[in-house]
Amino acid sequence: MTSVLIVDDHSIFRSGLRADLDGSLEVLGEAATVDDAVAQIAALLPEVVLLDVHLPGGAGGGGAEVLRRSAALFDRVRFLALSVSDSAEDVVGVIRAGARGYITKGSSGLEVSRAVAAVASGDAVFSPRLAGFVLDAFGAVTGEQAATDDELDRLSAREQEVMRLIARGFAYKEVAASLFISVKTVETHVSAVLRKLQLSSRHELTAWALERKLL
Amino acid sequence: MTTRPPLLRERSALLGGVSVALADHLGWSVRTVRAVFVVSSVLGGAGALLYLWLWALVPVVPDDSAPAVRRRAPVAAILVGVGAATAIVLSTALAGADTLATNALIVVVLSLGGAVAWNLTLDRTDPDRSREYALWVRGLAAVILLLTGIVTLLSRPAAINAVLGVGVVVLGIAVVVAPRVVTLWTELQASQTARVREEQRAEMAAHLHDSVLQTLALIQNRAGASSEVARIARAQERELRDWLFTGSAPVDADLASELREIAALIELDYAVRIDVVAVGEFGPSPVALVAAAREAMLNAARHAGGEVSVYLESTVSAIDIFIRDRGPGVTLETVPDDRLGIRESIIGRMARAGGSATIGAGADGSGTEIHLHLEVPHD
Repeated sequence: MTSVLIVDDHSIFRSGLRADLDGSLEVLGEAATVDDAVAQIAALLPEVVLLDVHLPGGAGGGGAEVLRRSAALFDRVRFLALSVSDSAEDVVGVIRAGARGYITKGSSGLEVSRAVAAVASGDAVFSPRLAGFVLDAFGAVTGEQAATDDELDRLSAREQEVMRLIARGFAYKEVAASLFISVKTVETHVSAVLRKLQLSSRHELTAWALERKLL
Repeated sequence: MTTRPPLLRERSALLGGVSVALADHLGWSVRTVRAVFVVSSVLGGAGALLYLWLWALVPVVPDDSAPAVRRRAPVAAILVGVGAATAIVLSTALAGADTLATNALIVVVLSLGGAVAWNLTLDRTDPDRSREYALWVRGLAAVILLLTGIVTLLSRPAAINAVLGVGVVVLGIAVVVAPRVVTLWTELQASQTARVREEQRAEMAAHLHDSVLQTLALIQNRAGASSEVARIARAQERELRDWLFTGSAPVDADLASELREIAALIELDYAVRIDVVAVGEFGPSPVALVAAAREAMLNAARHAGGEVSVYLESTVSAIDIFIRDRGPGVTLETVPDDRLGIRESIIGRMARAGGSATIGAGADGSGTEIHLHLEVPHD
């Protein structure tokens, strides 16, 4: 049983999602604003928070603000960003603030449940579009490649392969099968990419963030 | 009866192009027409009025590229000269007859005011008039006006001349400030309209984002990805999103946006959801590649349905497109010979364009993945 908190400012969406989630998830509560979400996360300590990217309240920072204010709880609470927008750029802000992945609001209840389970077990959730964004942002198509594993600003060859397959719509299982590696290894690569996405100071990522904050 | 050429003014003219137009139309010489205008202007001014009237009413030669109208006569400079000469007359007349001084003052004001007005309106669009020319015209006009005004005020501090003097000083200052005010005003107007429009748009976008997009997303996940209702909701969402977020930005027809458009059209006709992910920079799209990709997407929509992933990647040397479905699966061996779709429209087409197409099963053996590959020539 995975405990979940749903944070979204639309009550129709919250109740719809709640009804759609499968039986392995227990919804502890719902929050509609930034302040409400921060308070409930601290009080209920859910395993996974389903967090809308656009949220009213607080200092106006939306989902990213909830993440920043709950940063102390990151080892106990994991965040999965939900966005009505399917452009990955819209979600990079919350990912860099600490979310473990994102899915679009158009995803079915089953997809959301699977993603929640993945995040709860410590994995990252990458949609094909986010994988595409990562490949673009880390210069994979222009031939940039990390020389060592701990390099933050570029992807290793293996990570690029994994991201390419995810962008092509492959599930982790399928990625593992076509690269002849275990699903666990795929998850490790994805988590490594997520970490780079969060910590890298690559120009493409910081410039984007800067632009958004200035607007 | 011979047909007369139409009464039209040339775009390149001495003053207004009226004389040349009239001469062409009547079959007279330009000289004669000009002489008639000048003589009738001097005798009572009818010629000048007729000239102005024709200037206003006779259209210029229509031209699609519409180059700016050029005028050879430096009217503003001539008017400044007239103003300067009259001002000198005025300075000598100040000691003598009252009516002469008043008349001279009026001529100074009219000619210099006219010079500045001409410079601000007609010369602005004339490529033959430089910025320096405009500065000289306006600077000289301002200096002469101010000097005239001050001298008049000092020597004749009485009645009509005093009023005119003050007027001249004010006009002199206005001449200096006018172009700045005109530019500022037009800029202000433009920026205000733009801001109001932008604000309205942002407000509407925020509202639609919060309400309609959310509802459309909800409809889709309640109705199931490939149901009729979800399809309609998705098409609507896509349309709305395009309008909201791309808005007034120019639509560049690169390969990625072309494939997205095709995907949207296919989604309207089939129970399918096509995700297009693009990586890299895309230039103009090769026709064969687009056509083959379209055929592959149609095939996936027709025979598999459900979720279809399209991934395109553009590197410096090649473009790759992967179209992946999760249907019953097709391999080249199982395709009947009479099915033109895959053999001709995809493989044949790619081969003719110098690329290749491979068709295989998805990663775990289910579904189909079509891989299109096209080398891009280096320039």
